[in-house]
Amino acid sequence: MSFQPGSEAGFPAPPVAAAGPVLVRRRRPAGERIFRAASPYLLLAPAALVIVAVLGYPLYLLTKLSFQEFGLAALVTKKGTWIGVDNYTRIFRDHQFWTVLLRTFVFTAVNVGLTMIFGTLIALLLTRLGRFMRLLLTTGLVFVWATPVVVAVNIFRWMVDYEFGVLNWTLTKLHFGDFLNKDWFADPKMGFGVITAIIVWGAIPFVAITVYAGLSQVPAELVEAAEIDGARRWQVFKDITFPLLTPIFVILTSLSIIWDFQVFNQVWLARGGEPEEDYWLMSVYSFFEAFRLGEYGFGAAIAVVMVGFMFLATFVYLRQMIRMGETR
Amino acid sequence: MKLSSLGALALAAALLIAAVAASASSSSPDRQTATKVVIWLQNDAESGWKEMVTSTNDAFRAKHAGVDVDVQYQGWGDHLTKFDAALAGGTAPDVIELGNTETTRYMAAKLLQDLTSQAKSFPNSKTWLAALKDSCTYGGKLYCVPYYAGARAVIYRKDQYKAAGVKSAPKSLDQFAAAGKKLMKRYGKQRNYSALYFPGQYVWAGLSFVYDYGGKIAVSKNGKWQGTLNSPQALKGLNRLKSIVKALSRANKTTDEANPQQSLVFSKGRVGAFIGNGWEWPYALDEKVGNPSLKGKIGAYPMPSHIAGKFMPSFLGGSDVAVPVTSKNKALAYDWIRIFTSNSSMRKLATIGKQIPNTTSLASINAKNPQLAPFANASKYSWFVPTAPNWVKVENARVLKNMFQAIITGRQSVKKAATNASSQITKILNQPVT
Repeated sequence: MSFQPGSEAGFPAPPVAAAGPVLVRRRRPAGERIFRAASPYLLLAPAALVIVAVLGYPLYLLTKLSFQEFGLAALVTKKGTWIGVDNYTRIFRDHQFWTVLLRTFVFTAVNVGLTMIFGTLIALLLTRLGRFMRLLLTTGLVFVWATPVVVAVNIFRWMVDYEFGVLNWTLTKLHFGDFLNKDWFADPKMGFGVITAIIVWGAIPFVAITVYAGLSQVPAELVEAAEIDGARRWQVFKDITFPLLTPIFVILTSLSIIWDFQVFNQVWLARGGEPEEDYWLMSVYSFFEAFRLGEYGFGAAIAVVMVGFMFLATFVYLRQMIRMGETR
Repeated sequence: MKLSSLGALALAAALLIAAVAASASSSSPDRQTATKVVIWLQNDAESGWKEMVTSTNDAFRAKHAGVDVDVQYQGWGDHLTKFDAALAGGTAPDVIELGNTETTRYMAAKLLQDLTSQAKSFPNSKTWLAALKDSCTYGGKLYCVPYYAGARAVIYRKDQYKAAGVKSAPKSLDQFAAAGKKLMKRYGKQRNYSALYFPGQYVWAGLSFVYDYGGKIAVSKNGKWQGTLNSPQALKGLNRLKSIVKALSRANKTTDEANPQQSLVFSKGRVGAFIGNGWEWPYALDEKVGNPSLKGKIGAYPMPSHIAGKFMPSFLGGSDVAVPVTSKNKALAYDWIRIFTSNSSMRKLATIGKQIPNTTSLASINAKNPQLAPFANASKYSWFVPTAPNWVKVENARVLKNMFQAIITGRQSVKKAATNASSQITKILNQPVT
């Protein structure tokens, strides 16, 4: 016992000194208090430093850029002109911004909604399946999860291809009408349907597997008791399963919102690197203004506004989480 | 196993060669040996006239022993985005090909090296095509060297025209439409057959209809630009285009002429004609990606105007080569350009690439060749984009592609799409140049 304080500090304690521990113990409180108080911060410091370096600094640069007029010539001179909030006033006057913003909100809502609904349904299905089918379905889900976005988008593009797509062929063969030479991207609503399918398809596994993990924690007695009391399946889900899993659903929904609000790759790849205006979401809009039109300051301002919205979503989610922790 | 060990062997060999080369260059007293000149050319050169590039590089290497040339081919869709990023990152090439509609903005931003003082050191500088030289001149100074020009003509299947009963090349737009209808009658039952393959975002051929009816993209008045695609003349042209495409084309309405390459679609047999550049004719016959059996079955004629006997104005496309101000090997870059635009290179460009060389002194090559004459003739009646510094932003913002797609898919009325595009063009062209 008497060795412990010494070895705790990382030094082999002198075996003879019985007074040692006493001395240390007497000196410790002041040092220990400081150390105790500082240690969480010291332990957090490396992570915080990394976050500041890889997130904070770029964000600072982005914000700085958003207050400048930074065009093509500035790329080489590396000097933008400070123009205050002009980029921001320009954004809010740009009717295209509002169109894109609304479109992004609707897009996020639809995608998150569909992902959550289908993910939960598949999770519920998993609990009712036999061992073999469950394994098969889980494997399938993991494969979907593991498919890189680029590959997935290209597969979907081939399936809905104008000339050779299997979808047009199948629909025609099934007598749904003449789908030969149907261009799925001609009408943005249809096109977004395809993009939504790609995103929801790719996002379901995460939701399904997480919800399934949560479902397995729901006490069977509760469900049983409810069923004995005559509750129907929907009622069991609504009154027992869902309330118990609310934290999981909140986390999944918030994460999905964060992911779907900033979708870029799927739109970009599905439209062959040149999305039409009708396909612009916030991220694409920002990229186009900055990198296609060489308006880096303006593009940065759009990105900052986008970060603001994301921050809002994260804030609501964090508050919810903290509140939940308090009530428990 | 076999393959991987072969790969390992190849890798080892490559490493060995690299090591030897590295030690050779480091032991050499001449520091220049480590130099590499990076060239960005568009992939048209790769598919159309690669021999010209290879021979230029060979001649360049022979002249500058130890200097390496690295030609990197780029696509039109995103090469400027890449170029901008490379400029910012300090990794811009030593020589870049720019389309003649793309140069103005870079000249205005002073990102291209001023070549005025040494203009005469470039071959044929006195006889450069005026249109190309104009695209290299800004504020009276020369910032790039003309590379080639190209006009589009109708490239068609002679055998299909004959079988459908079209006896001679159409002399007016009405005849062109009538010929197309005959083709559709004869071959239209084939799925995806197009008498005229015209993808929905084919801006450069589409705008020719606007100019044929007397319309323009934009006009400049007292230093202010005004988009004019919704003028009555322009609308007439766009309406005519829409009806012709609707009747004759089953091409994808949401892609452009390069995705997929229209000449390759043509080579697959289900296309009667398309509007293309000179190089797209031999490309359709390419042994690897095209269809060599079409040899002798292909012809070309200039696109006829709605006025009988005249040609429809063709977009005078083309390219220039420039040296970015950031280049550290400017002298070498100039020399590469000199070889690249020499007479012998230009001859290759004309005969192999079927393009119009950068100098009027070689015009006779095109006139004598039946495969080149239609394109050379088409170039005599040409139009060009507004020469505003911000023009390339109109292209980059896809204003015109969006307009044509909206018209050809029928998502917007011709008038609405043209009015939208026009106001966007007005807005962009009048923005301050940054």
